[in-house]
Amino acid sequence: MAILIEGRIFGLLCLLAIMLAVVYYVQRAKGGKVPKVRRVAGVDAIDEAIGRAVEMGRPVFCSHGISGMRDATYGPQTIAGLGVLDHVAKKCAEVGARLIVPVRVPSVWPVASEIVETAYKVAGKPEEFNVDDVKYLSNDQFGYSSNYLGLLMREKAGANIMVGAYWAESMQLAETGNRVGAMQISGTANQHQLAFFVVATDYCLIGEEIFAASAYVTGDPALLSSLAGQDVGRILGVILMVLGAILITMGSNVLINLLGW
Amino acid sequence: MSETLRRIEIPIIITIVCTLLQVVPYFVNVPPIEAASDTFRSWMVLVATCSTLIGAITLTMGHSKTIQRQGKGWYFSVLTIVFMLVMILTGLPIPEVGLGEKNLVYDFCFKNILTPLGATMYSIIAFFLTAAAYRSFRARSLEATIVLIAGCLMICYNAPLMTVAWPGFTPIGDWIFSVPNMATMRAVIIGSALGAIALAVRALLGMERGYLRGGGEE
Repeated sequence: MAILIEGRIFGLLCLLAIMLAVVYYVQRAKGGKVPKVRRVAGVDAIDEAIGRAVEMGRPVFCSHGISGMRDATYGPQTIAGLGVLDHVAKKCAEVGARLIVPVRVPSVWPVASEIVETAYKVAGKPEEFNVDDVKYLSNDQFGYSSNYLGLLMREKAGANIMVGAYWAESMQLAETGNRVGAMQISGTANQHQLAFFVVATDYCLIGEEIFAASAYVTGDPALLSSLAGQDVGRILGVILMVLGAILITMGSNVLINLLGW
Repeated sequence: MSETLRRIEIPIIITIVCTLLQVVPYFVNVPPIEAASDTFRSWMVLVATCSTLIGAITLTMGHSKTIQRQGKGWYFSVLTIVFMLVMILTGLPIPEVGLGEKNLVYDFCFKNILTPLGATMYSIIAFFLTAAAYRSFRARSLEATIVLIAGCLMICYNAPLMTVAWPGFTPIGDWIFSVPNMATMRAVIIGSALGAIALAVRALLGMERGYLRGGGEE
């Protein structure tokens, strides 16, 4: 009996190549060689949005999507959103902005609550943390969105930061945020919702930018270097696509057989 | 003891072990690892189910405070708590005493309140969409003009009246949908997958700590 499962070996090799590339660039960064990372306007705008909300005397909303953390496809988006929440919470604690965190999945609520509480403790203002502002709304998709819309309208959000996995509620949230005059930063890897976020919010993090955001906001050289490892995967993908197009045009199934190895 | 339990290394180790137990059996055929992975998956379901209780408690506590201080819209909080209790109690899986999914009250609330409310929320997206389109579809720049033109062509492609008036909208719409749209979507999907892998590697190395109570800076 073969240990490696047939049909998944090539995928494993690709995965290992990308993982090794990420590890390589992280180690390289420890030696002082940090690759240049392009600016992500949406992430840079987070501080501006929080500052604006403080000046207006309005709260900052920060949500991390409606998925849990255990789903293989959408879980990483929630983790990325929580990474952004960490940064937002620290900034809000620093400048004294009220932060409201709408939560949909019950298992994510303790995580979000801990992140916000720690941010206030780190800022030396534990007494300013209000556990009621990390709001569990509803496990139902539209129960969550109607609650969120109501909160946006009642509390008159000054900033609305939404990074994570969103579905049909994306347009409702973005449009309502716009209606109350909130500066909005959105981000999702759910490609079917990207168009809504792009047209309805001020800044939109597209696809992989949300995964890079948590590394980008920390400014940690090792984390930033891991982004360069992704580029190795991208180059690998482009090579395979070009090679595949050429080989198929020539009538060869070599690459298809290799992918199915 | 409590200080030891709050050490950041503990969730990092749990993350690493759980991730490896999910990833490794996908590629390798080792029955003990597969069995361990299945056990972990069962635990995951149990943890997720138990966390529903956290949701119910948090919801009750939050809304109780609103009712207590008679805050803005406090009567909505009363409705929320009442209906939550009604749905929990009538939906309890004890069919012997008439409770569960077939309970009349549960069935009525589900079919006549929850479902229509959900459908209403879903259908109002059309109005939000129109408002957003009206605001955004303006030829302010080259990119915005391209979006405007493509959007108008897709509207015509999807409107039977327009395709009957000029059948040329059909091949144009098909082309927009299957060439530039598809290429962009694939680029986003590939980029997102790579981003998720890099995030997973950072989590496996214990570097990605944003989701762990502020990176354990406490």
